[in-house]
Amino acid sequence: MTVAVMKTKAEQSFAEGFNEMRATLPGSAAVREAREGAARRFEELGLPHRRIEEWKYTDLRSAVKEALPARSGDKLAMTIADVIVAIGPLAQIDAHRIVFVNGAHRPDLSTPGSLAGLEVESLASTLEDAQATEFALSGFAGQDSNAVLALNTAYMSDGAIVRVHAEAELEKPLLLVNIRAGAQPCFAAVRNVLEVGAKASARIVEAFVSLPGAAGDGQINTATQINVGDEARLTHVKIAADDGSGVTHLANWFARLGKACEYRGFQLTQGVNLARNQIQVAFDGEDAKLDLSGVFLGRGTDHVDTTLVVDHAVPSCESRELFKGVLDGHSRGIFQGKIIVQAVAQKTDGKQMSQALLLSPDAEFDSKPELEIFADDVVCGHGATCAELDKDLMFYCQSRGIPTDVARVLLIESFIGEAVALVEDEAINEALMGFARDWLSK
Amino acid sequence: MLEIKNLHVKIAEEDKPILKGIDLVVPKGELHAIMGPNGSGKSTLAYVLAGRDDYEVTDGDILWNGESILEMEPDERAAAGVFLAFQYPMEIPGVAGLTFLRTATNAVRRKRGHEELTTPEFMKLVKQKAGELNIDVEMLKRPVNVGFSGGEKKRSEILQMALLEPTLCVLDETDSGLDIDALKVVSEGVNALRSPERAMLVITHYQRLLNYIVPDKVHVLAHGKIQRSGGKELALELEQSGYGEFGEKAA
Ligand SMILES: Nc1ncnc2c1ncn2[C@@H]1O[C@H](COP(=O)(O)OP(=O)(O)OP(=O)(O)O)[C@@H](O)[C@H]1O
Ligand SMILES: [Mg+2]
Repeated sequence: MTVAVMKTKAEQSFAEGFNEMRATLPGSAAVREAREGAARRFEELGLPHRRIEEWKYTDLRSAVKEALPARSGDKLAMTIADVIVAIGPLAQIDAHRIVFVNGAHRPDLSTPGSLAGLEVESLASTLEDAQATEFALSGFAGQDSNAVLALNTAYMSDGAIVRVHAEAELEKPLLLVNIRAGAQPCFAAVRNVLEVGAKASARIVEAFVSLPGAAGDGQINTATQINVGDEARLTHVKIAADDGSGVTHLANWFARLGKACEYRGFQLTQGVNLARNQIQVAFDGEDAKLDLSGVFLGRGTDHVDTTLVVDHAVPSCESRELFKGVLDGHSRGIFQGKIIVQAVAQKTDGKQMSQALLLSPDAEFDSKPELEIFADDVVCGHGATCAELDKDLMFYCQSRGIPTDVARVLLIESFIGEAVALVEDEAINEALMGFARDWLSK
Repeated sequence: MLEIKNLHVKIAEEDKPILKGIDLVVPKGELHAIMGPNGSGKSTLAYVLAGRDDYEVTDGDILWNGESILEMEPDERAAAGVFLAFQYPMEIPGVAGLTFLRTATNAVRRKRGHEELTTPEFMKLVKQKAGELNIDVEMLKRPVNVGFSGGEKKRSEILQMALLEPTLCVLDETDSGLDIDALKVVSEGVNALRSPERAMLVITHYQRLLNYIVPDKVHVLAHGKIQRSGGKELALELEQSGYGEFGEKAA
C-alpha cells in the first residue's frame, strides 16, 4: 500500500523547477539520465522531516518554505575586487583561487594559470565526457535515501573536479570559492570532487560566502566527494560564512580514506540561518588518521546541524572529532556523531567530543553521540558538554581592566580556538579566526 | 587613600553574612597587612574591593581617593587603579598569556587616557618586568596560567600587577605556595612598587613574608570584623599566641 503524501510548496516547486530547467542543465545523455533518476528519487522521498531518525532535530520539510529558482551567476557583473571583499579573511591567504558565482564557474575571476601537481576542471565542462561523468558521480553509492543529495544530483550546475597528482605536494592552498551574489534570491547546487593521489599532500578550502548587497535569502546545496589516496595528506576546510537573513546551506561530504593517509577536515558555519552539514567518512585502508573538527556559530533563530558518520571498516585506524558551537539568541545547534567500528576493525582508536557555549538562556544545543562497536580490541569514547561563559573567568578578565565585551570575545575565541587549532595551518587558522571575529563583532 | 567604612557583606545568593562591619583606612604610601583565621572573610574583603558580584554589600561603603567604588564594574575599578592578586589565580585555556597581558595593559591604558603600547613596546616592557620576577617569557606564550605550578601562578599575578601599574594593590596570600627564593623575588617585586602614590593591602598567614615586605600596620580580621590593629610587631605576637583570643563572642 502506498500512502499519498501531500507535497509541500517547496517540494512541488523543486520538482517543477527541475522540469523547467532540465534542458539547460549541463551534461551528456548519461548525466541527464542520472539527473532524471535523482529528480524522481527526490519526488518520492520529499524533503526530510522529523519522523526520519537522522532528521529528528532538523525538519527540512517544515523549515524550507519555498524553492528558490536557480539563477546562474555566469553573466553577473563582478570584479576581482568584489571577490576579495566577499572572501574577507581568506583574501590574506596566498592561494590558488577558483571562483563560482551562484553556482557557475567564473574563469575571469579565478587565478589564472595552474599549480604544479594540480588539475582543476569545471564540472560543467567535463559532464559531456563519459569518463569524467563516471568519476564525478561514482563516489555517492549507497545514498539512495539521501534526498538532499538527490536534489544536488538533479540540479548540479557546476563545481570543481580537482585532481592532485600522486606524490605532488601543493605549495599553495587551493581555494574553491562560491559566492552568492545578485539582488534576486536564488538556489545553487554545487558539486566538487577532490581526488588526492597517493603520497600527495594538499590543502583545499571550500568557501561559501556572499557579496555585500546580495539578496537576503539564498539556498545552497553542496556535495563534495573526497578521495584521499594511500599515504596522502589532505587538509580540507569548508567555510559557510554568509550574512543573509534567510540563507539555507545543505552540505554533504563523502570521504574515502586510503591506507595510512592523514585527513584533516574542518567546517566553519556562521551567518547561516538553516544549516545541515552531513559528513560521511569511510576508512578504506589500514593505519589511516582522521581529524574532523568544526565550529558553528548561531544567533537569532539560526539552526545549525552537524551530522556525521565515521565508518571504521578496516583495522588500525584513528579518528578524532571535535565540534564546538557558540549559540546566542534563540539559535539551536545540533551535533549527531555516529562512530561505527566494524567487526574486522580491531585496534581502532576513536574519540569524539562536542561542546557548546550558550550565550543566551533561549539558545539550545542537542547532542546525540552514538557508538556502534562490533570489534572487541578497540579504544573508543565520546563526550558532550554544554555550558555558559565562565563567570569566574569573566571576573578575572574584568579585574585586569578588560571590559566585558572584550572579555567575552576573548573567552569565546579561546573556546573555538581549540578546534580551529586542529587545522594546523597558520594561514588558514588565522582566516578562520578572522571569520569568527567578524561574526562576534556583529 | 582607601577608606572602608562599616562594610557589611553577604553572599549574593544566600543570607549568610561574612563581613560584619569592617572599618579600615590605608593612606597612600602605606602598606597594611591583614591576618586572620581561615574562613574569617579576608578573601571576601579582597573580592569585594575588586568588585566580584558573588558578594553583596548590604551596608557601609568603600572609598578610593574619596569616591565610592561600589557602583563601579570590576574593569572600571581596575582602570581607577585597583588590582587584586588572587589567592587562587585562574587558568584561561586557549588565551595566550601575552595576548591576555597586552589586552589588559592596553585596556587599562586606554581608560586612563594613555597611548596604547605597540607590540614591540609591549614586548620590551613585558620582557623587562618578567625578567625582574624571574619569569621566562616563553612561559607567557602558553595559555594564561595553564599548567603553571602554584608558585608560577603567584609570580604571574605579580607580573600582571607590575604591568597594570595599579595604585591600590590587594595581595591575597601571594606568599603561599612560593619557595624561599621565589618569596624573595616576589617580595622584591612588591617592594619595587611601593611608592608614595600607592596604597597596599597584603593578606597573609605568615609573619615570614612581613620580614621581606615590612608593613606599616597589621590588622587582625576574625568573624567578619577587624579585631585588632597594631604595628609590625603584632604579627610576631600572633605567631606566638595564635587567634585564640579572638573567639566567637569577640565578634
Ligand atoms: N561564594 C561563596 N559562597 C559560599 N560561601 C562563601 C563564598 N565565599 C566565601 N564564602 C564563605 O565565607 C567565609 C569567608 O571566606 P573567605 O574566603 O573570605 O575566608 P578567608 O579569610 O580568605 O580564608 P582563608 O584564610 O582560608 O583563605 C567562609 O566561611 C567561606 O566558606
Ligand atoms: Mg582567603
